[in-house]
Amino acid sequence: MSTHHTKDFLFTYIFSTDHKMISKQFLITGFLMGFVGLIMSTLFRLQLGWPGESFEVVELLMGSWQEDGVMAPDKYLSLVTMHGTIMVFFLLTAGLSGTFSNLLIPLQIGARDMASGFMNMLSYWFFFISSVIMLCSLFVEGGAASAGWTIYPPLSALPQAIPGSGAGMTLWLIAMSIFIVSSLIGSLNYIVTVLNMRTKGMSMTRLPLTIWAFFLTAILGVLSFPVLLSAALLLTFDRSFGTSFFLSDIYIGGQVLDHTGGSPILFEHLFWFLGHPEVYIVLLPALGITSEVISTMTRKPIFGYRAMIGSMMAISFLSFIVWGHHMFLTGMNPFLGSVFTFTTLLIAIPSAVKVFNYLTTLWKGNIKFTPATLFSIGLVSTFITGGVTGLVLGNSALDINVHDTYFVIGHFHIVMGLSAIFGMFAGVYHWFPKLFGRMINNKLGSLHFWITIVSSYGVFFPMHFLGLAGVPRRYYTFSEFPMFENMVDINELISVFAIAAMIGQLVFFFNFVYSAFRGPKAPMNPWKSNTLEWTTPVEHFHGNWYGDIPTVHRWPYDYSKVDANGEFVYGEDFIPQTTPLGDNEKDGGEH
Amino acid sequence: MATIVSNNSHYKDELKRKNSKPLLWIALVSIVMFFGGMTSAVIVSQGGGSFIPIPMPIGFTISTYIIIVSSFVFHFGLIAIKKENYGLAKISVVLTLILGLSFVFTQYMGWVTLHDNGFYLTGKESTQESSFLYLITGLHIAHLIGGLISLIVVLVKTVKKRYNSDDSVGYQVSLTYWHFLGGLWVYLFFFLRYSIA
Repeated sequence: MSTHHTKDFLFTYIFSTDHKMISKQFLITGFLMGFVGLIMSTLFRLQLGWPGESFEVVELLMGSWQEDGVMAPDKYLSLVTMHGTIMVFFLLTAGLSGTFSNLLIPLQIGARDMASGFMNMLSYWFFFISSVIMLCSLFVEGGAASAGWTIYPPLSALPQAIPGSGAGMTLWLIAMSIFIVSSLIGSLNYIVTVLNMRTKGMSMTRLPLTIWAFFLTAILGVLSFPVLLSAALLLTFDRSFGTSFFLSDIYIGGQVLDHTGGSPILFEHLFWFLGHPEVYIVLLPALGITSEVISTMTRKPIFGYRAMIGSMMAISFLSFIVWGHHMFLTGMNPFLGSVFTFTTLLIAIPSAVKVFNYLTTLWKGNIKFTPATLFSIGLVSTFITGGVTGLVLGNSALDINVHDTYFVIGHFHIVMGLSAIFGMFAGVYHWFPKLFGRMINNKLGSLHFWITIVSSYGVFFPMHFLGLAGVPRRYYTFSEFPMFENMVDINELISVFAIAAMIGQLVFFFNFVYSAFRGPKAPMNPWKSNTLEWTTPVEHFHGNWYGDIPTVHRWPYDYSKVDANGEFVYGEDFIPQTTPLGDNEKDGGEH
Repeated sequence: MATIVSNNSHYKDELKRKNSKPLLWIALVSIVMFFGGMTSAVIVSQGGGSFIPIPMPIGFTISTYIIIVSSFVFHFGLIAIKKENYGLAKISVVLTLILGLSFVFTQYMGWVTLHDNGFYLTGKESTQESSFLYLITGLHIAHLIGGLISLIVVLVKTVKKRYNSDDSVGYQVSLTYWHFLGGLWVYLFFFLRYSIA
């Protein structure tokens, strides 16, 4: 393995099969998509905070999508739909998992690359094409899809239903189908790489928790995305070829349609069979990253390593048998509802185990407050505050009262959106030296964290009260409803926080770009971490290690290990996985 | 940026040998979930009550026998490869290819029968059951086309004697996929026979 060779630009930076370059491609594409989603949310928050008012920025950004500086109602729906789609799938699924699974799986398990570098490249390019198509759908006649990110029929199944049901919806389906293919190809590769390519000594109980999280995420993807693909296919046939899987006895514009016998509830079943595991596809990588960051930055072994693995497995399994809690109001048999309530509430147990373990790892730790640490602690916070309201929504008797209100928006943005993006930021700050060979500015990172956490709680916490007051989601304006008049101020406040959150992200983007090119050069192991990625040279090359791949002798969380005299065992407060076990020394992962 | 893996053919061959089968197996799991989604959709939609049974066309029954036989024939080819009997292996792959194409033809005949009996894929006179019947069988064919393409690749490599008793991973991958397609069809046939027909 010594054919050093300089490749040309095209195959180094564009059609690369090196997992590290593909990781950067996923990161940058994901962030660009996320930025688009962020701008969209700011625009529709302007409408919700100050309905009917004219804003120059809206005129500037939206062109014909507004009339006299005011956003048109159907365009509002498009923005909400596209914001949800882009954030859930393009930023937090492909952006998060694509970036860190690609970067860390080979590096942390001790492999030169993925099981198939070609499939890995293919996975990114499918993602890229699907991103381009999704963005193009903003500019077609009738505008982008506007049936909500869950694209329930009949709005998504009848091209004539609303303006966004036309070409925009068709492109949404094409883009998502390609996205699913990308996700499946990626997941196949991640699973096989973890199972088949680990270096000598890297048993499953010596894997960092990041790898366990990516591994389980990939399994969830392989099992759930094909079902969404089947739903998308049936929907395409209903839309374009005149079948009636999801449609029945529809009158539209005074015209009776031919469709008969179908049911939109069928779509909900198929959608949420993916939709709920998708929550954990988004969340598990963030939880894995948090485990790694918290342990490294507190200089303590992760508390309950095996319990963490077990709880992630339990969450993954349970995520497949809870989808009905999204459908309590579809006329579901109350007994079936109670079954879904039971399985949903069970998820609280492994989730609580994880939170307990994070807190006990942090407890009395020698915490180094880097931006990655702050975002990880932020994740623990949002996982708790968002998880608690999950107990309300998972219970059919309570959910019925707040279904489709802002309570739901507040809940899932905190537990899924914020937790996942906090995990992603933690990952970017922590592995920035590995990604770009340079250090990112910590002060700007901390500023970014504090603006983000304050403003995002400012956005989503008050939404619970709006929801409890019955304010429904997805409405263009509440100014026409006297019963919501006293909610105007809260909506305005939320919008102010949303604008602040957006400005906070500009700090991050500046820091990210500046540090990637001008940041100080990174040392080989800046965080004094135990895992294998920090044994590779700072300079990237295809193959990761120049010589033989290192052998692993211990689990990855031997921090602050002291002997009987209270001295560090090897003179440092960390023991890399490559250090052989001493006499009578036990491996932390084995018990 | 230097590389120590991209142009290393030994490394690539080793990767291929090691990972082709696991990659295929995981891909098969996702195909199972895809068809699981489809057949679950049939069950959920029948919860609505009214449904018109559809007689299973004889073409589908014949194609079931064909695909089972083809699996055995293709498997004999692997045994021949292990004994490096390339003549027999070639016959086996060609026969499998012919049987695969016959499967497609008998499926087509099944659709013609359905159409002649007034069961349509789309339109005013179609029912959910008839649409599902066409779509699910059609999707199986779509997957089978992948199998036929892999058979052609295997045939070319068999003719060129690229496989031997030590290295027949490519053949085995194609064979596993073919067996899977057969098993999948048998499941779909009985599922459709007892849920729709």
